[in-house]
Amino acid sequence: MSDPRNFRLRATFCKQGRLALLSHLEVARALERTVRRAGLPFAISQGFSPHMKIAFGAALPVGVGGLHEVFDLQLTRYVSPEGALEALQAASPPDLMVKDCRYIEPGEPAASVAYPLSTYRALLSCAPAALPVPDEVIVVRKKKEKVLRVSDFLVGEMRVAGAVATFTLEAKPTGSLRPDVLLRACVDAYNAAGEGLAEAPSGAAAAIAAVPPADGQQASLCAPDELLRIVSVTRIDQRA
Amino acid sequence: MTDLWPRLEALLGDAERPARYINREWGCVYKPDADFRFCMVYPDTYELGQANQAVRILVNAVNAAEGMAAERAFLPAPAFCDRMRAEGLPLFSIESCAPVAEFDAVGITLPHELAATNVLETLDLAGIPLRADVRAEDDPLVLGGGPCAYNPEPYAPFFDAVSIGEGEEAVPEALALIRRLRAEGAPRGAILRALADEPGWYVPSLYRWRDEAEAQEAGTWIDPVEPGLPARIDKRLFEGFAQSPGWEPCIVPFTEVVHDRLNVEILRGCARGCRFCQAGMMYRPVRERSADNVVTSVLAGLANTGYDEVSLTSLSSTDHSQIADILTRLNHACEGKGVRISVPSQRLDAFGVDMAGLVAGQKKGGLTFAPEAGTQRLRDVINKNVTEDDLFGALDAAFAAGWRRCKLYFMIGLPTETDDDIKGIASLASRAYDRAKAAVAPDQRGNVRVSVSVALFVPKAQTPFQWDGQITPEEALRRVGILRRSVKHKAVDVHWHDPSTSFVEAVMSRGGREAAAWVEAAWRRGARFDAWTECFDGQAWRAAADEVGIDPEAVAQTSYPTDRVMPWAHISTGVSARFLARERRLADEDRTTPDCTFGTCSACGACPSLGVDNELAAPRTAPAAVEEQEAPHV
Repeated sequence: MSDPRNFRLRATFCKQGRLALLSHLEVARALERTVRRAGLPFAISQGFSPHMKIAFGAALPVGVGGLHEVFDLQLTRYVSPEGALEALQAASPPDLMVKDCRYIEPGEPAASVAYPLSTYRALLSCAPAALPVPDEVIVVRKKKEKVLRVSDFLVGEMRVAGAVATFTLEAKPTGSLRPDVLLRACVDAYNAAGEGLAEAPSGAAAAIAAVPPADGQQASLCAPDELLRIVSVTRIDQRA
Repeated sequence: MTDLWPRLEALLGDAERPARYINREWGCVYKPDADFRFCMVYPDTYELGQANQAVRILVNAVNAAEGMAAERAFLPAPAFCDRMRAEGLPLFSIESCAPVAEFDAVGITLPHELAATNVLETLDLAGIPLRADVRAEDDPLVLGGGPCAYNPEPYAPFFDAVSIGEGEEAVPEALALIRRLRAEGAPRGAILRALADEPGWYVPSLYRWRDEAEAQEAGTWIDPVEPGLPARIDKRLFEGFAQSPGWEPCIVPFTEVVHDRLNVEILRGCARGCRFCQAGMMYRPVRERSADNVVTSVLAGLANTGYDEVSLTSLSSTDHSQIADILTRLNHACEGKGVRISVPSQRLDAFGVDMAGLVAGQKKGGLTFAPEAGTQRLRDVINKNVTEDDLFGALDAAFAAGWRRCKLYFMIGLPTETDDDIKGIASLASRAYDRAKAAVAPDQRGNVRVSVSVALFVPKAQTPFQWDGQITPEEALRRVGILRRSVKHKAVDVHWHDPSTSFVEAVMSRGGREAAAWVEAAWRRGARFDAWTECFDGQAWRAAADEVGIDPEAVAQTSYPTDRVMPWAHISTGVSARFLARERRLADEDRTTPDCTFGTCSACGACPSLGVDNELAAPRTAPAAVEEQEAPHV
């Protein structure tokens, strides 16, 4: 009899369109239901409260989409990756669509830690001449303010081409910097520095629309007194 | 139709749980080409309404019709309602994100008595005039229905028409009529007049409301404004229920909602005859779906939705004649798939516990039982045909089988209740605790918990206790005090509900058409989401009563003889007024009436007046006999 640990399927999926507004928990639940609808021979944990053996990759914030998100699924018997993909696709809503399936080795790291580097692409409302990156970002966790040093997380530069910003963040065992939080800080700094805007309302940048980034490279330059807004944020790549 | 999505999307960046507004759930139906559009509204948030059975059934039934589309709408969270008003964004449907006011007809279900102000919040946010008599030709027809429609009068001015009874057939039929008449260019008034002739439809504006003296003299509160209108509206019954498949398409939400699971209705109606219970009167007769139907439906539903939990719903699922067979077969079919099967409303005896044990697996949380009253005398008064031995037998079985917590539901303020009955609750709970402790191993006794939950009796329309007044909130608190002082064990917790909300429920349950002005004034003073403890605003309701000159205490608290004509006398559940009066008299004599599905007919009148009979999948065996059977094991 074959070792069930060998049937470890890694699926890649996208989270886009309106469904970028789902929380990590909502995505996890939706995918579990997709697996059940697909009729795959998923494994169940033993014990008090049996659950599907499914593990999810690094969480995306509400409002942030992803092109190559991952989950790992333990199966009880072999199903061809093509067959699994077909079944999953038939059971997926279009904006939470499984794109690829492959088997991984038993020893491979879990989806949640396998890819500490995430590259994000953000579409802005207009093309800023430059996007200032603050040294520190203040985040609120469990009602406590915490100061995060951006250089601890940002890998390489914040690149801006037209109205598109691209940057890479590294997840640390001690914690992560959320891409939307960093971007908001950048946009707030840009707006605060703008001429004739002594007091930039930070809330104005709050609405992150959930549309996939269109081609914003040729977007027009921000007018001198124009408030910069974030239109969308998408994780375009995850790697080791 | 207008697409509000771009405007809504701009507000979602800082909305709490935006997933409830975005649509695109698995199982949504889109019919963009339909020429007649119906919007089904649950007058509370998505989390509370998405799993509602009426919404699912009616949306499916309308979508099944050629050329007609049904969409859903819910009230946004209170803070988001304010945000939308500030932005001038009207209430939208989920599927098309279209303004609710652009639909041809809007249905609002009335799930409980505290949803009344939310009906007005819904209409106002949609930009639809609150009162039917000022709606224009191009406003949607606003239709009501649901449990509270059995006394429609406190809502009457807000609805163009109200559906009485089961809507599976009544709603699509009425919409087809509206669609045809609109296509012919009929004015609103003509459409309403035609609806009034449809079985099960009540058009309040076609009936003048009488005053007390005139109503008692005439034997009815309503006076038709023209000849030919029905004087009594009989409920509609979906006669095909038992044969219809228990699985029908359902939407799988992204965000967590209440009852977020596959819900399969296994039977409808309950004939136990508890005298306070409205559901037990209005869903008669009892109709069971067969075990084959239920098992096939559950498996199809799980495969289509991907849910990992199924609930076999009904008013009393363990009364189903084939429940043991159903649970055994489902357990077998779902083995190894991590699927939970739940059965709501535990029957209060050892058989009920056996059934709970069949589906509980290793995880045994708590069991809930509802003895409703603390003494045998009062249980006989309310016709809760349950003895202390039944309860203790259930507890012995439950705690021996591994449960460690149990919750007991009681009502206070029931007709004829005395302080001794209140102390009886404490005594029963204490003895239940002793009994539970004795049923478990000595080293586990510390884990045994019994909690007591008490709610204030609300006299419900269309029940034998409809003539009985509610006790005052002050008196309710006094009785709760007696109960709390009478409970000696530390392991027995006592919980109770705020009696001021139960008071509003009683007024809405028993009020006539004059209560509508009270609802509107309370809403104008800010009352909404009254069912949410943190939102209930007793001050607004009090001030509204003074403003419109209604005496809500009289409405809620006056007791009447059984020959008094009540404000819902023109609405018929099929159960006769004579039966209700007889049951009320038997209550005074501490005499019980048996469940007709286990024995002889109790002549409630439902079967002959509706032209049907109880429809059981197999003969039901009396509870005592069932207990002696070998309980099935997997």
